[in-house]
Amino acid sequence: MTTKTLKKPVARPVAPAKARSAARGRERFAYWLIGPALAFMVLVHLIPTAAGSFLSLLDLNTFTFQQLFGAPWAGLSNYDSILFDSANPLHSGFTNAASNTLFYTVVVVAGTLSGGLGIALLMNRAFPGQRVVRTLMLTPWVVPSFVVAVLWEFMWQRDAGIVNKVLVDYTGILGERPTWLLGENTMWAIVIPSIWRGIPFAMLIFLAGLQAIPRELNEAAALDGAGTWRRFRYITLPLLRPLLAIQLLFGVIYSAYQFTIPFVMLGSNPGPSADLMMTLVMRQSFSNNLFGYGAAVSTLLMLAMLVWVGIWYATFRRDFVEANA
Amino acid sequence: MRRALIALVAVVVIGVGIWAIAASGGDDDNGDSATAGSSKPSGSVRFWVMNNGPDPVADTEEIVAPFEKESGIDVDVQLVGWDVQLDRIRNAAVSGKGPDVTQAGTTQVPFFAALGGFEDLSGRVGDIGGDSAYAPGVWQTTQVTGRDGDYAVPWFTEARSIYYRKDLLKKAGIDPETAFTDWDALHATLKKLKDSGAVDNKKTYAFGSPGKQAFDLVHHVMPFVWDAGGAELNEDASESTIDTPEAQEGVEFVANLVPEGLFDPTALEKDGQQVEDSFKGGRLAVWIGGPWVLATIPRKDDDVWAPVARKNVGVAPMPAGPSGEAYTFVGGSNLMMFKSSENKDAAWELIKFLSQDATQTAYADLMGMFPARLDPQEQASQKDANYGAFYEAIQNGRTYAPIPQWGQVETAYKTRFGNILDMAAGHGKEDYSPDAVQKELEEAAKEANGLLAQNAG
Repeated sequence: MTTKTLKKPVARPVAPAKARSAARGRERFAYWLIGPALAFMVLVHLIPTAAGSFLSLLDLNTFTFQQLFGAPWAGLSNYDSILFDSANPLHSGFTNAASNTLFYTVVVVAGTLSGGLGIALLMNRAFPGQRVVRTLMLTPWVVPSFVVAVLWEFMWQRDAGIVNKVLVDYTGILGERPTWLLGENTMWAIVIPSIWRGIPFAMLIFLAGLQAIPRELNEAAALDGAGTWRRFRYITLPLLRPLLAIQLLFGVIYSAYQFTIPFVMLGSNPGPSADLMMTLVMRQSFSNNLFGYGAAVSTLLMLAMLVWVGIWYATFRRDFVEANA
Repeated sequence: MRRALIALVAVVVIGVGIWAIAASGGDDDNGDSATAGSSKPSGSVRFWVMNNGPDPVADTEEIVAPFEKESGIDVDVQLVGWDVQLDRIRNAAVSGKGPDVTQAGTTQVPFFAALGGFEDLSGRVGDIGGDSAYAPGVWQTTQVTGRDGDYAVPWFTEARSIYYRKDLLKKAGIDPETAFTDWDALHATLKKLKDSGAVDNKKTYAFGSPGKQAFDLVHHVMPFVWDAGGAELNEDASESTIDTPEAQEGVEFVANLVPEGLFDPTALEKDGQQVEDSFKGGRLAVWIGGPWVLATIPRKDDDVWAPVARKNVGVAPMPAGPSGEAYTFVGGSNLMMFKSSENKDAAWELIKFLSQDATQTAYADLMGMFPARLDPQEQASQKDANYGAFYEAIQNGRTYAPIPQWGQVETAYKTRFGNILDMAAGHGKEDYSPDAVQKELEEAAKEANGLLAQNAG
């Protein structure tokens, strides 16, 4: 105590200059450290994004795409024909894919999060073999999307597929064999495997959140007479809110950019009922060489995602500010 | 200062690492050049092949082994899968970094040629007999509308014919000689197969053909459009004619089989390979397919065949339509030489070798395809009646207009044909009716016209 008070005044006159240079050195070192990551981000992320947006303003087709950035200037005409020109056959493909993607995203995110939360609540109770069950629950998440799509493609087949065998032959839930891979059911044929694959990860996150909730809170509430639903509504849900928010953000972005499952299961043309934005972009860009059109659709999708991030931020900003404070 | 130094070293190390990864992954250009000044071509030739058979690289190496021994030219055979070949060949042509010779699908040649990365071979094709050594439908696939020059050399050929089950036709009391002569006969045959109980419409069906999942859906439908007097495009390939009444008649002949119960409805959710397996497995009495299936009949290691189906395969030429013609799609693969090749003379030697009659026969036998050249084709037709039927089909073969945009137009048609077949099976957004079919075909024509209107700006 005494030595400290003695030393301080002596050290003071020297300290500021030295500390400042040390701080500057540390800062410089930090820049060096993030430098490579920054350079890499600019190289593989920012530049391609800017280049892609630029391409959406060009007339890129079979004859001009090899000129790439030197292709004729098209201004906003790609956007115009996608959004407003109903005489352009690409217009109806776009609106159709946009509404399919919206439906797909809403259903998949809602299904994944509610399913993951439900299973996490079940897993949070002690029961024999809990660890084994928890590990097994993770298996769909370990399977690559490509394999998921191939497996389900076989499972959905009308005559040979296991889905109809279970629904019709074994249990008799349905009298007639539904066709899953044609017509309107194709949307469900891609939605259900997507949810199936997404649930384990959501469950894992929620389970971690549930286990972090202090037991005393629930015990105290129970002593005060709060039932299961009220404890869930007023203790569990508010405490899981930040986890829910993060998963909502990533879930929507991931689903809106979904490509693997419809493409592998249904090919580059999944049909009017299951054509998503990404399969449309892929088909128009790489099968049809309309890279300008594809880039324009991609840019629109990116803008839509920016809007979503804005909405998300406005809604959940307080959760994260409070958590930091 | 020391820390800054450490950071600098770290940055350099990471940077070099990234550069090394990028350099090793990005470029597989080998750039060996011909020994300058020597008159006889030598050195090595890089050759891209697609998965034509079960073991494409080993099979091709076996075929070119005598050539390597005799000429001293080293052939480096590399596999580029059908699923990625369009992108890989396009990128190679645009970037100027690719092999010396590549295989390409016959309908892709005009598109690749329009990229400007391929040699015009018209000065060289005299060596192999030029157009007179090939059937007209086959030679047409080396041309590009509106340009002079021969941009490819035909390698092997395939055409579609009718496969049928002799035992099921016999059971239904149908004479195979007259069963498939024209549309009416084909229709009556399928109806009789169903009505007589030769097929039960549960586990076996009269006919099956793939739907929108098949990459070659258009090859399955277009012959019927041609038969009805329709065409994919007008004379000068400037406009789509897929919305004409003739074209609609052809499309509807195929699609009508679905609601009539003559068509396996589950075939529409499968791709071409899976429907082929359905025929081999005994599910279909009649099917339209290529010559490679014929080649698998004697192969014991092909266990997809149900014994009863394997024993009873018959082949008939395609039926004649209202126009009196019996068209079939003739396709296959051609060979193209890259402009960027540094060893063009050696590359041409390889193409010349692959165009010799004996090599053509040997390779076609290995792949279960037909040779591209007339003489070995005729030889192959002598094998048995089924091969004879294919030979006849190739002579009636027709292919699409050789324009650079064809691939895109085909995609547009494929989408709409798929929608029509789905509608016919009761899974469309609208009910199946002539009006609904017409609407889809009008959309197809509209999209195709948009694609045909593309220009260099």
